[in-house]
Amino acid sequence: MAASISSYTFSSVCYHSANSNSDHEGFLLGEVRQEETVSISDTQISSAELLQVVEVHNHEPCAQLFSFYDYAGKVNDENLNRILKDRHKNVIGWYRFRRNTQQQMSFREQIIHKQLTQLLGVPDLVFLLFSFISTANNSTHALEYVLFRPNRRYNQRVTLHIPNLGTTSQQEYKVSSVPNTSLNYAKVIKEHGAEFFDKDGVMKDIRTIFQVYGALQDRVQAVCGEVEQNERVKEKFQEEVNKLKQQIALRKQKSAEEERRLQEAQNPEQRPTPEENSEPPETSLLSRVAFHTPSTPERLGPSANPPSYADLHSLQDDSLLPSLSSPTSAALLPRPQAVGSPGHPSPSPLDGSSSDSLDRQAAGQEEEEEEEEEEEEEDDDDEDSSEYENLVSEVAQLPPVTASVLAQGRPAALSPDGDASVLGSQTS
Amino acid sequence: MSPEVALNRISPELRPLLCSVVRNGRVGLDSTNCLRVTDLKTGCTSLTPGPCCDRFKLHIPYAGETLKWDIIFNARDPELPPDFIFGEDAEFLPEPSELPHLVQWDAGDPECLLQLVKELIQQYHQYQCQRLRESSRLLFEYDSLLEDPNYSRSMEIYAGHKNSWTGEFSARFLLKLPVDFSNIPVYLLKDTTLDPGEDVALLSVSFEDAEATQVFPKLYLSPSIEHALGGSSALHIPAFPSGGCLIDYVPQVCQLLTNKVQYVIQGYHKRREYIAAFLSHFGMGVVEYDAEGFTKLTLLLMWKDFCFLVHVDLPLYFPRDQPTLTFQSVYHFTNSGQLYSQVQKSYPYSPRWDGNEMAKRQETCKAVEPATIFGPALPRQIHFISI
Repeated sequence: MAASISSYTFSSVCYHSANSNSDHEGFLLGEVRQEETVSISDTQISSAELLQVVEVHNHEPCAQLFSFYDYAGKVNDENLNRILKDRHKNVIGWYRFRRNTQQQMSFREQIIHKQLTQLLGVPDLVFLLFSFISTANNSTHALEYVLFRPNRRYNQRVTLHIPNLGTTSQQEYKVSSVPNTSLNYAKVIKEHGAEFFDKDGVMKDIRTIFQVYGALQDRVQAVCGEVEQNERVKEKFQEEVNKLKQQIALRKQKSAEEERRLQEAQNPEQRPTPEENSEPPETSLLSRVAFHTPSTPERLGPSANPPSYADLHSLQDDSLLPSLSSPTSAALLPRPQAVGSPGHPSPSPLDGSSSDSLDRQAAGQEEEEEEEEEEEEEDDDDEDSSEYENLVSEVAQLPPVTASVLAQGRPAALSPDGDASVLGSQTS
Repeated sequence: MSPEVALNRISPELRPLLCSVVRNGRVGLDSTNCLRVTDLKTGCTSLTPGPCCDRFKLHIPYAGETLKWDIIFNARDPELPPDFIFGEDAEFLPEPSELPHLVQWDAGDPECLLQLVKELIQQYHQYQCQRLRESSRLLFEYDSLLEDPNYSRSMEIYAGHKNSWTGEFSARFLLKLPVDFSNIPVYLLKDTTLDPGEDVALLSVSFEDAEATQVFPKLYLSPSIEHALGGSSALHIPAFPSGGCLIDYVPQVCQLLTNKVQYVIQGYHKRREYIAAFLSHFGMGVVEYDAEGFTKLTLLLMWKDFCFLVHVDLPLYFPRDQPTLTFQSVYHFTNSGQLYSQVQKSYPYSPRWDGNEMAKRQETCKAVEPATIFGPALPRQIHFISI
């Protein structure tokens, strides 16, 4: 059972009690309703809880003690009716105020309560006990109140809730369901209500606000629809782009294979060596390719003339390629210093950490480049084309690495500390 | 809180009612102490000038317990009857029709409140007896005592609360024993400083469990009776026999007490007879004697020109207990300055002799005693006094 009392009724009872110079009693008017709470949880389908809620709306104080009962505690019907008039059905309990006494129902209160339960026909009649407890020097006075349910076992006590009596910072101001029973209020509202309320008794402003809210909801729904459509279109485009990428890759693969076959047909003996020793520079070149290709999507465009090759051509300035600018022999024959040299990048890590070694190698190769350029100025034009061819051959030779490096380049670039040991481990 | 303080603080209109309670209020079997009042409070506002207290706690002895009931008046309406809160006995709800002093409350009658409290106690007793139904064994004890007219009207029962954990149920029976103390000599009873009230002997029997395997009896005597019977150490009651019941045990204790009282009465008469006999035998030789309790007698005797005093001390349970003779010299001091004396207990004696017989026998032995008592002491005498 839950019980609540409106704050003005509570304060009115307190006022009457505090001002009386003796014990004081009266009746509580209100209503009792049943609240059913259905809760659904994972463990059970649903459970219904029935709660009886007692609401005190008003009170009727008695003018004096023993006004409706005699010395033996016998209730007098006539006197009771005279006090309650026609509000019998609104009575939900009665109250008593007595100073400096225990919070326990007394002998006479129990006798009276039993009779009231029968006479008023309220099986769960409640009893509210007020008490002022004062300290010896009258410096502190405490108002204590307890709501009893005497018709239950062990004289059950019920917590009485007073809406909005508490720290308002922690809870909002709550409108209680206790109706306003003031006649004056009802009169004024009746006179001026038409300006604010529509025929259903709802405030007009509220209706307007609801309309605005509805319109906003509709608009949001429409926008959601548009967004969904655009997302779908974007998905389609993305699919097409992926398809085209695959086609490009296939074509590259095929052309690389063809080139390789041609070369094999031309130079069958020198095939194995250049592959081994040229691996590191090729892999390093490819790592450069891997790092660069994602950032320039236009290079991956479906053009027959891959701009990536142009970019790779520009990479030749980085001096890695000049190492291969020497005729095919450079690509195919290992450089004496490449193997075992301190600037020689380790084969496995295709990561940024080896960039130093790559730079060093680049530096070393720059020196050699200058030497070779002096020797082979004639072959510049051919170098370009031969570089292109070499590069193509290199790419053709290591297509799986390309794909894997391309794939793995991204994670390495994304890692925060630039550590692409992920790459290394993946390649190994 | 003393009664005077309570009466000073209570509202003037309620003072007569409280007066009869604190001064004359004796309720129940244990009437040695008056009812006690504490926690005087007021139902008026704190600004009301005093004295205006109109509610208090009343302490009522009952069956070895003390009931603490709140009594609530209204100082503004002193003609109205009070309300009660029965403390821990929240389930005790007396029937108002059984309380005539409540139904016809008369604020002008100073005894009204006291009478109402007595009626409530009777109702409370009924309530406790009803609660004995929780134990068939204890109910049997109660019913069997109820059938005996000696105890049915002089019984208070306190049934403890059943322990919900162990299921144990305890109860206490307080019985007023029907022993006649009226013939106890008055001198024995008037030594107490306080007004002892009625002479009463109460037997309290506590049953710690419903099956009566742990039973603790205790005897309470009013102070005068206890003094008359020789103090608390003189009276030991037998232990409650296991498997026994109250209807057999209580009469046993009753008989024991009755016998003790008889001894005391008899002793008094016997002592009086003894003294009378000695008076007649020794006539002028009597120095002094206890004419009230007949417990002491002093004689001045002479043997061969040797005078000496004989002090006779008669015990409480005379003639069962032998009197003590103290021979005292009238001439000689001991080193400490006291008259030389010697106690004699080994002399011919029989409790069956009457007073005259005892006097005769004493006469004979007194002729012999001084020689044996004072003879060896004579050489050691240092001081001499003259009669």
